[in-house]
Amino acid sequence: MVAPAERLAAFRAIANGFATAYLVVRAPMFVDLGDRAAADFDPVGFLAWLDDPLPYWLVVTLLVAAIWAGAASALGWRYRITAPVFALTLLALTTLRSSWGQLLHFENLMALFAIVLAFSPAADAWSLDAHRGSRVPGPSARSGHPLVVASWIVVATYVIAGIAKLRYGGWGWIDGDTLRNHIASAAARLDLLGGIPAPFAELAVRSGDLLVVAAVLTMVVELGAPLALLDRRLRNAWVGATWLMHLGILATMAIGFPSPLFGVAFAPLFRLELGVDRIAGWIGRGTNRPVNEVISEQQGSRG
Amino acid sequence: MLTVAIVTLLFVPVLLDRDDFPLATYPMYARQRAEVVAITTAVGVDATGGEQRLGLGIIGQTDDPLIAVGELRAAVRVGEADRRCAEIARRVDDPSIVGVLVVTERHDVVDHVKSGDGFREREVHAECDVPGGQS
Repeated sequence: MVAPAERLAAFRAIANGFATAYLVVRAPMFVDLGDRAAADFDPVGFLAWLDDPLPYWLVVTLLVAAIWAGAASALGWRYRITAPVFALTLLALTTLRSSWGQLLHFENLMALFAIVLAFSPAADAWSLDAHRGSRVPGPSARSGHPLVVASWIVVATYVIAGIAKLRYGGWGWIDGDTLRNHIASAAARLDLLGGIPAPFAELAVRSGDLLVVAAVLTMVVELGAPLALLDRRLRNAWVGATWLMHLGILATMAIGFPSPLFGVAFAPLFRLELGVDRIAGWIGRGTNRPVNEVISEQQGSRG
Repeated sequence: MLTVAIVTLLFVPVLLDRDDFPLATYPMYARQRAEVVAITTAVGVDATGGEQRLGLGIIGQTDDPLIAVGELRAAVRVGEADRRCAEIARRVDDPSIVGVLVVTERHDVVDHVKSGDGFREREVHAECDVPGGQS
């Protein structure tokens, strides 16, 4: 796929910017990972070879380095260094978070996007590096390919989740009872752990046949994810349905997946540069390339 | 070709049936779940023997219930409930709580959500005093 450099740059800013902000907001939680009992350490991923948890000073160092590199790479500053540093430190921190006896799945897309971006020419446009004189390249497969990879990562993630439900739960997963029991279990667990259950947990548990509809729609959204790659209408429908699914999960189970809820997970599926230029136009500032030039190049690239 | 290779890599955990990070099988909420569920938790005990629910920060030094429950369950499984009880007790900051119990409770979760009354049975794994508490 041919894409303008600006599109990949927008994805860089959104994905790495969001992940950096996430690290800042969740910094206390990540810092606490350096203070947990060694007996609870159950390393996974590329940390699986470790016998002991990372020392406190190293966790703090990784966090500071990740925030610095994340901000720098989002701005496209010294990108060839900061992007890989960010990808590596983010991967280390998010892997560490899942290394305490419970694999978490909130941060997979963030980490995978950072890895894709680390190997991409995502600072060729709309970046501090680009402002230092190099000519912004025209639309190319070089800019488009990382977006294709990121898009496939998104849809594959949801397909895999759908496969898991059929594999481990069987077709009975869509009869509604399993979903009801999961919602009830999440609420009961929070209650018994001194937390606050989701506001619509009770309503969902009492909703009977509506849960069957929710279960069927969940399977359609997950297994049907590749349809989002076919055309814009299917993409928009799938993104909307998936976002609503995550909103429902948050409202009934108090479980929030930050990347999809904030739309970042779906970013590679869209022509981001048009949105950025539109926003820039609204606030009365230009970009370093006129909107009509970007659009003309895209029209030219589509033949 | 590279895209095909990367997408194939994403499905390796599925082929191996092995969840990991960041490549995963995403099995969350995939398994069938019964209405009666065992939940390992810790409760605070006051001087009169009354019980109070402890918060996530006290139980697991985390705001994530999955981590808190997972660690507690793992500690019970390997016979370290007493150690975990003492750790939790050291974190208790409510002066009315004088002791901690590490327990596994079985609840009908649907009844719990609908009526608040889903408790079925409890197994106590460890009991310890809060340092400085007046039992």
